[in-house]
Amino acid sequence: MELKKENLEKALTALTRLGKVLVPGVVDGVKKFVPYAAGADIDLDMVNTTLPPKDVLFPQTQKMYRFTTGPDAAFEEISDAEEQILFGARPCDAQSIDCLDKVFLSGEYTDAYYADKRGKLTIVAAACAKAAPTCFCRSMGVDPGGAPNADLLLAPTAGGWNLHCQSDKGKAVLEALSGLLEDADGQALPPAQPELVVDMAPVAEKISTMFEHPIWDELHRPCIGCGTCTFVCPTCYCFEMGPEMHGAEGTEMRYWDSCMFSEYTRMAGGHNPRPSAKERLRNRYLHKLSYFVERYGQTLCVGCGRCVEKCPANLDISRAIEMIGEAKTE
Amino acid sequence: MSDVQNTLRDRVRSLLAEGKISCFIGWGPTRFKDRTIPKFANKPEDAGELVYNEHCLSNLAKYALDFQFSAEVAGIAVRGCESRAINRLIADGRLTRSKLYLVGIPCEGMLENGSTAEKCAFCRHRNPVVYDELIGEPVAEQENPPRFEQVLELESASSEDRYDFWQREFAKCIRCYACRNACPACNCMECYTEQYRTGWQGKQANTLENSVFGFTRAYHIGDRCIECGECERVCPMGIPLMKLNRKLVKDVESLFGSEESGLSDDASHALGCYDKEDLEEFM
Repeated sequence: MELKKENLEKALTALTRLGKVLVPGVVDGVKKFVPYAAGADIDLDMVNTTLPPKDVLFPQTQKMYRFTTGPDAAFEEISDAEEQILFGARPCDAQSIDCLDKVFLSGEYTDAYYADKRGKLTIVAAACAKAAPTCFCRSMGVDPGGAPNADLLLAPTAGGWNLHCQSDKGKAVLEALSGLLEDADGQALPPAQPELVVDMAPVAEKISTMFEHPIWDELHRPCIGCGTCTFVCPTCYCFEMGPEMHGAEGTEMRYWDSCMFSEYTRMAGGHNPRPSAKERLRNRYLHKLSYFVERYGQTLCVGCGRCVEKCPANLDISRAIEMIGEAKTE
Repeated sequence: MSDVQNTLRDRVRSLLAEGKISCFIGWGPTRFKDRTIPKFANKPEDAGELVYNEHCLSNLAKYALDFQFSAEVAGIAVRGCESRAINRLIADGRLTRSKLYLVGIPCEGMLENGSTAEKCAFCRHRNPVVYDELIGEPVAEQENPPRFEQVLELESASSEDRYDFWQREFAKCIRCYACRNACPACNCMECYTEQYRTGWQGKQANTLENSVFGFTRAYHIGDRCIECGECERVCPMGIPLMKLNRKLVKDVESLFGSEESGLSDDASHALGCYDKEDLEEFM
């Protein structure tokens, strides 16, 4: 089945009957997933949004519950989950949601806020026909031509996309689009071949022994200690919680935090076990390339290249992967 | 520029070999032709990895703070913007001149996406204002670049429109603090946003809290901004922060008759000192 480009707006409009449709667009100069509205500035051809789709499931600022203190103390839970369709997410974006699922849904504790939003999310992924110079998804085990955890996959053709249904939620999308699709498949375009290729094999072999390696003494030096890499990263999931108070009434919130911030690991009394950019950068890279792999069997980097693109100092995790691979260990 | 790069490598190699400096802060290559990365040369043989081309966008001055407690002298490449940033950091008590060796490089502006970088467009000091040695010949300065053009345009809008403009811009802020960390004037030992449980700055990323941060930062550096444009360059959301900073620079210049920030390392700054002659219209 093929969705022709000229039917895209009609298709998105049809999908709004299923829920809020989020599409790659540009708002005030920022590329991100935006709620679809007729005539909106959408762009399904952009290689990558600047802001990842993690906000859809794990908002930068999430209101958790309202409360009143004092003799009439009370709590009121806040649930703002709604049916959402993430339309045009890239294979790396879909893989990043798989990483977030591992963190928030697997194991002993399930995160209720994430679970609520995740249950109501339909992923319509769009395979990539072109790659940015900063894309290195293949090196991180992501296929730019597929997205196994998407509910529906759009595979680009010369005039639109072939649709591949991958779940029951995907079927619901197909039903909503009935009448707007061609029965036959179009001529599929070959998937993108990112030119940036790095070898993870030697990293996997030795990174767990490299905590004290001298490589970290130099690697961090350009880092200015901002949170750009972590905030544009589709898989960075650290958060902090705290209340916003107005007299006796408050709202408990959780908001993205960044392991690159100096106060992230500051403890009571002022001790900081990660006192400089060296320890912070090492932690970020080891978390992505080692700790997460040990715990969940996959890297916490999907090779989207957003941090490479936006780092103020042009630090490059793909280069770090090469340097770790080349480093001499005993 | 390849001449400058070669001379720079030779000079840094000698300076390190002679023990005049313990480390040199310059630029190095990345895998992308149009990007460089701050590079720290520790040994004479590292000098050959230094790069100087039209893609050296990072202002290096703040990296000198890495050596603030070192007994050794650190070398650093300074163009006009770095030299003013170094002056700013010395005037603010964060660096000591005698512990720095400044290799001056006259600069004709850097490139961003193939054309003159926005941060270089209104530059009035392409030649370093302070250095220990200069590589290459001084270049002609831009004559009266219209540095306040965008401010004047914004000033002509109604206060409601200006308010809406900044609310829309700060709505985009993701609070990564790249602007603060890149800024040579943002050099507090501890930023108020990092202070523990003071409640000055909420962590919520919403228009209100983002604006509190954005405007507080702008006022705090209003009389010390050296107009290097690093904050705007590094902002991943493309917020036009220099429009805000230049508004304050313009006001401080006209109200206090201040000279541009960073032209010397001992100039007082208008909002940081008391003068009996200061305007007191509101008292």
